[in-house]
Amino acid sequence: MKLINQFTIWYLGISVIVFLIGGILIFYKLESEIDFEQGRELERQLDRYARKMESMDDPSILSKDRLEIRELPLNQALVPFQLGDTLAWHEPLEQVERQVKAGRSYLINGKHYYMSTYNIMIESDDITETVVQTMVAIFLLLLIFIAVTSRLVSKKILQPFHSSLTKIKEFTFKENQPLVFEPSRIEEFEKLHEFLNRMSARMLGDYKIVKEFSENLSHEIQTPIAVISGKLELLLNSPITDQQAKWIAASHQSTQKMSKVVHSLATLAKLENQEFEGNQQVNLSALLNKSIADYEELVAIKQISLHQLIEPDIKIEMHPNMAEMLVDNLLSNAIKHNEKPGYITIEATPSVLKFRNKGEKPKRDVSEYLDRFKKGNPNSESIGLGLSIVQQICRIHGFTLEYQFIEEEHQVTIQLQN
Amino acid sequence: MKILLIEDQLELSNNIREFLESEGIVCEFCDNCFDAQDKLLVYHYDCIILDIMLPDGNGLDLIDFIKENQEGSNILIISAKNSLQDKLDGLDLGADDYMTKPFHLAELHARLKVLYRRNQLGGTDKLVFNEIQVNPENLEVTVNQNLLELTKKEFDLLVFFLTNKNRVLGRQAIVQHLWGDYTDDLANFDFVYQHIKNLRKKICQAGGIDYIETVYGIGYKFNTTKE
Repeated sequence: MKLINQFTIWYLGISVIVFLIGGILIFYKLESEIDFEQGRELERQLDRYARKMESMDDPSILSKDRLEIRELPLNQALVPFQLGDTLAWHEPLEQVERQVKAGRSYLINGKHYYMSTYNIMIESDDITETVVQTMVAIFLLLLIFIAVTSRLVSKKILQPFHSSLTKIKEFTFKENQPLVFEPSRIEEFEKLHEFLNRMSARMLGDYKIVKEFSENLSHEIQTPIAVISGKLELLLNSPITDQQAKWIAASHQSTQKMSKVVHSLATLAKLENQEFEGNQQVNLSALLNKSIADYEELVAIKQISLHQLIEPDIKIEMHPNMAEMLVDNLLSNAIKHNEKPGYITIEATPSVLKFRNKGEKPKRDVSEYLDRFKKGNPNSESIGLGLSIVQQICRIHGFTLEYQFIEEEHQVTIQLQN
Repeated sequence: MKILLIEDQLELSNNIREFLESEGIVCEFCDNCFDAQDKLLVYHYDCIILDIMLPDGNGLDLIDFIKENQEGSNILIISAKNSLQDKLDGLDLGADDYMTKPFHLAELHARLKVLYRRNQLGGTDKLVFNEIQVNPENLEVTVNQNLLELTKKEFDLLVFFLTNKNRVLGRQAIVQHLWGDYTDDLANFDFVYQHIKNLRKKICQAGGIDYIETVYGIGYKFNTTKE
């Protein structure tokens, strides 16, 4: 949900409550005001009649349908002005209606009269109706107005927010520039900008440290490994016993593996840091064929039959090194985890790249093999980073990678359309 | 054959010198660019082994200097950086080969010999050992004048053995030599065994001595003392 919609809904919700309370207040105020004014009017009428009666001998002639004149004993206390209601016939409406009745007594020409009159009462139903109609009309106006203006206003108010968002999206470690935003008059945005600026600077710092660490590690460790493996090689050719030779060979093999792990991890770090940039049109078909040719011998020795269902001239947008790494890792993986005799089927279309190969049933969920250092056979010479590298490459290019084991078959499927 | 080794890691250069000297290669050594330039101005070397990261500069910057002062010598770069870009840069600048640390000493030796044969001897010399004659120019191998029909891999394997006679060559070193870096984690040395078996068979069939012996659990050795 958009922020502006959220705001609008809250605003309208609050408006509804305010309008309700306001309506009730207006209703009561209106009713009491009308009652008061009507009372005043009736009192003035009575006063007028009283003044008329002063110049009259027989006040009873003034009596008509609305005016009631009654003489009270002189010694009775004056009745003050009082309001009440009564039911009486209403001529225009031709029905009995609730009416306001006012009465008081006057001393006129030495006589004590009680006079009362009534008038039609404005019913609360009518007032309610008026109030509700008015309120609804105002509310609707408000609704339309808000709906139209909020969009325009929000665009203007949120414009710096959107431009900041674009900047954040475009942030990469490669540029090595902390986020800098245009100054905003809105305090919240200013705060956010300041925070993001500091955060990005901090991230760049941390990233540099990690990057230097992994770079140094991968370079600096290779030299000592080279020293060790060289010494072992010399040792292997010195006068030693067979047993010693085996120990040396095993140590040598482990140093090789160490070097490979470090190298693969450095590659993976490079991929994760997105240090490969510059996608090009890569001919996937040619790449696959080249890789297949490279591994041809190996495939033959392992008695693997290779089926190629590769469409000619498949072009994809990729970094060439990464494309090579991807294909190479997939194929060597399919060879490595095959059976003897086994098969590999490579299917490639502009939208899908699929490797299927015969292989042992995995001991755990195959999707785990995509994690680092997860391998089917813990004693195997492979270091367990091949599929992680493949996955990372797919992630960078927006491909979806799927790894399944179906019917004695390992299936790696890559959707090349993102 | 005389080479100059420019490498700042003392122990690594000791390894290389020891190995190469035992193969009869004269190996001079220095550990920085400055000393290297001194030597390059005075002496002539057949090959220069050059480390990229040196205490007083980048080895790549030395390539031009070498090209100016050493006529016809080869440059082999050894680097801890397994970076394709560095490799391309190095080869662009005129280096002849590029190896990533760690490497097998036997492999270094083999590559030096290849460069030496190709550039210094014009690729015309034959590798001869007793009854075996290898002609790298046209990839022909004869045993007792009988022409062997070898595959490319078998040929490479034989040359690798002949360059590193009487040394134990680990299966890993052989795999890397034949297939390069990318296949070596394929956890299966069957194919080394296959190729060696075929090579031995072909040599024996042509009446040669089976010099190649298995060093159980480790690798193979071209034993010249066999009769």
